Amino acid sequence: MVNKSVLVLGGGIAGVASSLRLAVNGFKVYLVEREPTIGGAALFFCCKATEACNQCSVCLVPEKIAEVKAQPQISLLTNSQVAEISGQVGDFSVRLIQRPRFVDPEKCTACGVCAELCPSQPNKAIYLPSPQALPYAYAIDKNNCLHFNGVECNICSQECPFGAIDFDRSPEKIELSVDAIIIATGFDVFNAKEKGCLGYGRYTNVLTGLDLERKFSTQGSITLPSSGKAPQNVAFIQCVGSRDVHIGNGYCSQICCKYAMRFAKLLQYQHPETKITIFYMDLQTAGKGFGEFYQQCKETIRFVRGIPVEISEISPDELEVKYEDFIEGKVAKEIFDLVILSVGITPRKDSSNIARILGINLGEWGFFDTQDHLDSTETNVEGIFVAGTCHGPKDIPESIAHGAQAASKVIQTLAARGI
Amino acid sequence: MDEVKIGVFICNCGDTISKSVDLLDIRARLEKLADVALVSIGHDLCSPQAQQAIRKDIIDNGINRVVIAACSPQLYGDALANLVEKAGLNRHLLSVANIREQCSWVHPDKDKATKKAMVQIRMAVDKVRLQDVVEQAEVEVYKDVLVIGGGIVGMEVAIELSNLNLRTTLIEKEANLGGRLKQFAALYPLQVTPEEMLTSRLKQVTGSENIDALTSAGLKDLSGEVGNFTAKIRKGNEEISRNFGAIILATGYETLFLDKVYGFELGDNIITQSQLEGMLKSPGEIKKIPQSVGFVFDICDEHSRISTPSTLRNALVIKERFGSEVYVLCRNLQVDGAGLEKLYQDVRNKGVIFFKFERFPKVLRENGKINIQVEDLSMAREQVMLSCDLLVVEEKVVPHQDFATLESMLNIGLGPRDFYQEDNVHLYPTSSTKSGIFFAGNCHQDLDLGRALTDASNAASEAYQLISSGKMRVEVERVVVDPDKCALCLTCLRFCPHDAIRIDYEKKTAHILDLACQGCGICAAVCPAKAIKFKDWSDDQILAELEVV
Repeated sequence: MVNKSVLVLGGGIAGVASSLRLAVNGFKVYLVEREPTIGGAALFFCCKATEACNQCSVCLVPEKIAEVKAQPQISLLTNSQVAEISGQVGDFSVRLIQRPRFVDPEKCTACGVCAELCPSQPNKAIYLPSPQALPYAYAIDKNNCLHFNGVECNICSQECPFGAIDFDRSPEKIELSVDAIIIATGFDVFNAKEKGCLGYGRYTNVLTGLDLERKFSTQGSITLPSSGKAPQNVAFIQCVGSRDVHIGNGYCSQICCKYAMRFAKLLQYQHPETKITIFYMDLQTAGKGFGEFYQQCKETIRFVRGIPVEISEISPDELEVKYEDFIEGKVAKEIFDLVILSVGITPRKDSSNIARILGINLGEWGFFDTQDHLDSTETNVEGIFVAGTCHGPKDIPESIAHGAQAASKVIQTLAARGI
Repeated sequence: MDEVKIGVFICNCGDTISKSVDLLDIRARLEKLADVALVSIGHDLCSPQAQQAIRKDIIDNGINRVVIAACSPQLYGDALANLVEKAGLNRHLLSVANIREQCSWVHPDKDKATKKAMVQIRMAVDKVRLQDVVEQAEVEVYKDVLVIGGGIVGMEVAIELSNLNLRTTLIEKEANLGGRLKQFAALYPLQVTPEEMLTSRLKQVTGSENIDALTSAGLKDLSGEVGNFTAKIRKGNEEISRNFGAIILATGYETLFLDKVYGFELGDNIITQSQLEGMLKSPGEIKKIPQSVGFVFDICDEHSRISTPSTLRNALVIKERFGSEVYVLCRNLQVDGAGLEKLYQDVRNKGVIFFKFERFPKVLRENGKINIQVEDLSMAREQVMLSCDLLVVEEKVVPHQDFATLESMLNIGLGPRDFYQEDNVHLYPTSSTKSGIFFAGNCHQDLDLGRALTDASNAASEAYQLISSGKMRVEVERVVVDPDKCALCLTCLRFCPHDAIRIDYEKKTAHILDLACQGCGICAAVCPAKAIKFKDWSDDQILAELEVV
């Protein structure tokens, strides 16, 4: 057992991978997560299997969370954010702020009595963040909770069979001393409203890839938001917010072509008569087994080169998509009943704040920078490493690999310095 | 064998399970079952107090088999096994019935739910009654790693292992380390040159006491299992025998020109990417500076991560070095790698012209020139004629010719395109099907340089995790072969995906290597003579469970 500790900032899949790799090698890990559960963005994504597994890797998330649960070397600090960091490699001092959860995860068994009784409408104020949540415990959303909004409601705390609920908690400061730090704060999904001409937020039947993830993972299928009917004619528009220097994102998000094709297959699996068109710039089809999957997609999905410039709503069920038809050499208009914007990965809005607290550099597009521009993990500050999508776009397996790489670099760096 | 005394501990999970399951009725019926010595219902078995109480109950009542009826074993399975172990029992003498997620939470009808929970618990009781003890032991393993392949990936693996204080033998079949990196003309979007990268890695390899780099060397034979491999390495006329705990394959890839797909042959002015890289590397070979150069790829639906970066790189080198006109023709640019979109923009800004085609362009040789006829999609499919002095074409990325030999020597599987197949592409992306053998780089996945180095790091740390303590915990004889029943039909040997079965010709029986066995149970299922017993899921246990249903 080594007597060293590492702070991992961010409990998404990359941070989890880093923590696991460190913990099995005997390191003490403080896994800090701002939300009430670890798992990050991918925890809320859906399985895209049809009759066969289409290798979206979303199932790896609960798998890895279960490993964290069984790992005594990892201390979870959820609802927490970093406030201050000082010191250097081998001796960092970290101050965290932990916001109260109001439910003691040690006592809560996720029996669900509280949520059944919670009178808050329309959303229950006390909730289990996910069936795969870790800690596997309920949390209270202060904004929704009657108790915190001027009503004398203590139902949940009175009825909890385990006495796990305590409203009189205030934010706590946590001081830690660690040898190294891994930043794995993840990404923000591109806000499709920035591309106003595509009508997201204005037209009912224009959705994003993220909306699809949510709908499929909660409902298992998708219907037209306007009418509740099954979609007949669906368009996917690629590169929304990616490969676009005009909005400051001059990079490929690396995930959208793959998720669009997997969703398209899934839609057709559920509704074989659904027509699907994918508008693209360049299809990113590399990766083990994906080329073969693309060949299958070509049989039932229409691929059109060119990114539409404008969508207008003729009726809630009829969206007119205007695009340049390269084959015919003219501007074409076509009606779809559902349009999916394949939004990509952007740097987190608070990344400049984290960069300032830690003294690390940001790269050209606002992701954390590393010493060489390949997928390395070392930042300009010795002992601080980055992992996952906070460093640049990555899919789930690549985030896991990058997380494990960062952990390995921590072990090597500390070994080399004899710390 | 001692008298079987089964203790059944039922969790009410904060009184939520009893809402749809009549636990008192279940207790009353369980108490009448043979061998059941104790049935207890708890409020929340996951709390430390309850666990303390279970431990005490087990010890005080002389319980020697435990059934826990609670939530999914996914949640607390390991913790419960630890609890049983702390009470002085073997951790395999436990069976968990999931009466929460699989019963009370999903069945509102109390009668039916109670009936189902009873069946689940009885199945667990009848299974655990027949459960055999499986002991754990610690085995010494070698803290040495063999890395096969001395390209950039193999070197990176060796360097990282050396940083982690593991001794490494790095073998390379060529006379020099460096592999394909030696041929590259540039490493854009990186700022370093291939020479700089190679020199710095070489310095680390030669400067490390932990790395023994053997060039002009190859693997001749391998025996043993994870932790204790014995490798015979041939170097020149010498033969070296060494022991290793783990092996990492970093054998890279080869490229092949597909003349049949392209419909034309290579020549003075039609060359492959590899040939171009060779020319750019030794400028003496360039007799006449080409005024115009065309690059073409994406013909054979390769979906390769190698064509786009190498084309962009070499196009930029030619533009910068000779100022030639450069055209790139392809279907899709694979820009989903670190810095590649930026490189594409830079290359375009330098004046390289891109044509994305739907139909493969026509290539005609005329008076020492290459004429390429391509549809320009951005100009209403107008036919454009490009005249080039030099045409550079992509190659297919194929497995190394040594693959087949290594594959049969190491007994690992090949995947669809004849590259090495991982045990599980997503869960264990660098592990082979055989415990202790790992893959790094392009020998198993299609990777660009950045991804390949990440992969190298992962393979190295997987190997480190496995053997760095010098010991491995192993479940002893979890799967056993009855020598009297074994007919040496070799069915198990053929089916085992993990190469964990050996034949003992003296004793005339198959036997299972405990370290290599991963407990999948295939051998026990396929054995025609029923000679193989998987102690956690023996035939008797499964039949007993089915009896209840």
